[in-house]
Amino acid sequence: MATPVTGAESGSAPARLRHLEPWLYLLPGLLIFTAFMAIPTAGTIILSLTDWNGISWNTAIFNGLANYQRALESVQFRTAFWNNLKLIPFFVLLPALIGLIPAAIVHQLRLRGGRWFQAGLFLPYIMPGVLIGVVWAWILNPIFGPVNKVLKQLGWASPPTWLGDFIWALPTVGFIGAWAAYGFCYVVFLAGLQKIPNDQYEAARIDGAGMWQEFTGVTLPGLRGEIAVVLSINLINALRAFDVIKTTTDGGPGTETQVMALYMINSAFGANQAGYGAAIAVLLSVITLVGSMLILRFAGERNG
Amino acid sequence: MSLHRRELMKRAGIVSAGIAGANRLQASEVAAQDVELTVWDTLNTPPRSDIADSIVAEFAEAHEGVTAEHRGWALEELVSTLPRSVESNQGPDVAQVNNGEALMGPMIRGGQIISLQPYVEQYGWDQLFPAGLAARNMYSADGTVFGEGELWGVSAESEIVGFYYNRTIFSEHGLEVPTTFAEFETLNATLREHGVEPIAFGTLDKWQAIHIFGAIQGTYTTREYLDNIIYRRNDASFEDPSMLDAATKLVEWNDNGFFMEGFEGINGDDAVPLFTAGMSAMLMQGSWAAGQVGEGLGDDAGFFLMPPHEAGGTVLHVGGVGIPYSVTTNAEDPELAVELIASFVSESANAKFVEAGILPAGEIPADLVTEGTLSGDLYGNWNTALAADAIGHYLDWATPDFYDVLTANLQSLLGGQIDPQAFVTALQEVYAASFE
Repeated sequence: MATPVTGAESGSAPARLRHLEPWLYLLPGLLIFTAFMAIPTAGTIILSLTDWNGISWNTAIFNGLANYQRALESVQFRTAFWNNLKLIPFFVLLPALIGLIPAAIVHQLRLRGGRWFQAGLFLPYIMPGVLIGVVWAWILNPIFGPVNKVLKQLGWASPPTWLGDFIWALPTVGFIGAWAAYGFCYVVFLAGLQKIPNDQYEAARIDGAGMWQEFTGVTLPGLRGEIAVVLSINLINALRAFDVIKTTTDGGPGTETQVMALYMINSAFGANQAGYGAAIAVLLSVITLVGSMLILRFAGERNG
Repeated sequence: MSLHRRELMKRAGIVSAGIAGANRLQASEVAAQDVELTVWDTLNTPPRSDIADSIVAEFAEAHEGVTAEHRGWALEELVSTLPRSVESNQGPDVAQVNNGEALMGPMIRGGQIISLQPYVEQYGWDQLFPAGLAARNMYSADGTVFGEGELWGVSAESEIVGFYYNRTIFSEHGLEVPTTFAEFETLNATLREHGVEPIAFGTLDKWQAIHIFGAIQGTYTTREYLDNIIYRRNDASFEDPSMLDAATKLVEWNDNGFFMEGFEGINGDDAVPLFTAGMSAMLMQGSWAAGQVGEGLGDDAGFFLMPPHEAGGTVLHVGGVGIPYSVTTNAEDPELAVELIASFVSESANAKFVEAGILPAGEIPADLVTEGTLSGDLYGNWNTALAADAIGHYLDWATPDFYDVLTANLQSLLGGQIDPQAFVTALQEVYAASFE
């Protein structure tokens, strides 16, 4: 069945070419990976070691680790890193929680119509982040947005400007991020719940477990793997957060929502410091990699 | 020259489909005799895109054997694509090159655009703008000193930031266009007292913070100081009374409620429909918003510039030249490319811009300035400011990364997170560090 094309044409496949066959199957994927992942990654690492304005090659100078040193010493980078950390509860834990509860309810109560629910809840996740940002900025607009209109009708004379408010901007952006991500968590959790054998719930019930005990004793332990996947993907999203923030606050007010990805883009393309921007990109990748490895490792140990 | 190559292939394709493959050679020979010009700019939406299309088409018509193509880009896309395209010899012949260290300086130093100095006299470009504005498209021959030396680009448009106002609201409250800074403050206070939102603008997307601060700072400063800051000469510093006074005044205005409530949560462009819907008496915006304001309010809208502290005094208004057109080193026929740029500032091009309500390069003919209309107010004020060489700067030009620094600190100042002195100190720290 898996006769190579060359063999079919010539009638007999030379044995020494046979070991190339797997590589032929791998080739398309390998080419795409090389062109769009390996080469750009290597290029970014090389660029991060240069002082290059991103405009003309003749001005590029190799400057070793100076960009990395500058980033680590920079107040702006540290502020951005800290803001990314502050977003973690919103981007990582909140959507997982919001996704878990309806998934557990639908599953434990054997509710019908779960698929419609699924489609509806999943919708925000497939919407482009830019769109989500623009739409939420309108919803939260202090003058013509529905949120403040309703709040004013409820008697709050001057509600916050949300995205423009120094106290509220980061939680608001975090909430928008959570809204965008919870549908994904819900779907993953619901899929995971299908794997938990029904007899476990029945056994729990025979033992007299209530809804809450079923949740903590059966549902949660059964979902460990899914929780690890959801948390690590959410963490990646929290650390690379860009589109929603760019389209809502652009890092403001002040530097309240300035995050690493935004600082990277602004440095590389806004301030013509492509080498420095590349160094921030590399740092961002390393931080993300370490973070998600820690989560997977943690969950792996518990699984083992 | 990707477009050139693509065009060749297209022609070859048409020929081979229609006749025979053997004719391809002949077709490409014909094409090789032609000159193809490509123009990349930011005139990407009507009416601007139509104006550029027609200028380029008319140029091609007037020159036998010349075909020309115009492509309008979003600014951010153009800025990120242009230098990389020119570097790989795939760039256009003529392109808008963002002023200063944003693009022009680095592109000169990278050998990507040519000096237009040899053509200045021939095309009369030294008469187009007063010295203060002309300097914005100038750099030293080696591209290291901004604001002097040779001309590297020519702007087809101009812009100035001021205050649009609603004539009906003004007359309802017995108000007139202010002629002094104090009158302007009284006017704002009166509106607030009467329960009318005075000035609409928005700082959520940041950029308008620069304009409102610049507008106030322009009343306290001099041409010399501002030029020194922007062209980075004579040890200029942000630790200057004009900066401190302006920051203090900005906070005072905010405290006194001169700005529309909720401005921190509104995008700059979203303030325009709020103003045209009659929700504020004034709108702080650039001349580029005139079309939209006119559509919304018609001649019920007027326009005035920030008034001086003393009647008859000079204010440096936020504004400047549009992004200048330069000739790239990819151009096969630079002389022809330069001529194409000249057609963007010709009389007929200017008329096209003015007709669309856009400030063109240089002065606007007096017969187009009709009193009592929005465009009349705009053109009249522009001519006055131009004659006085009173067009100031956008302060974010001070260093390549100053936009983020300035806007973040202005938001902090307006949000009461820092005081005026801390604001000025923060700006000076970044400015000083940029010289290291």
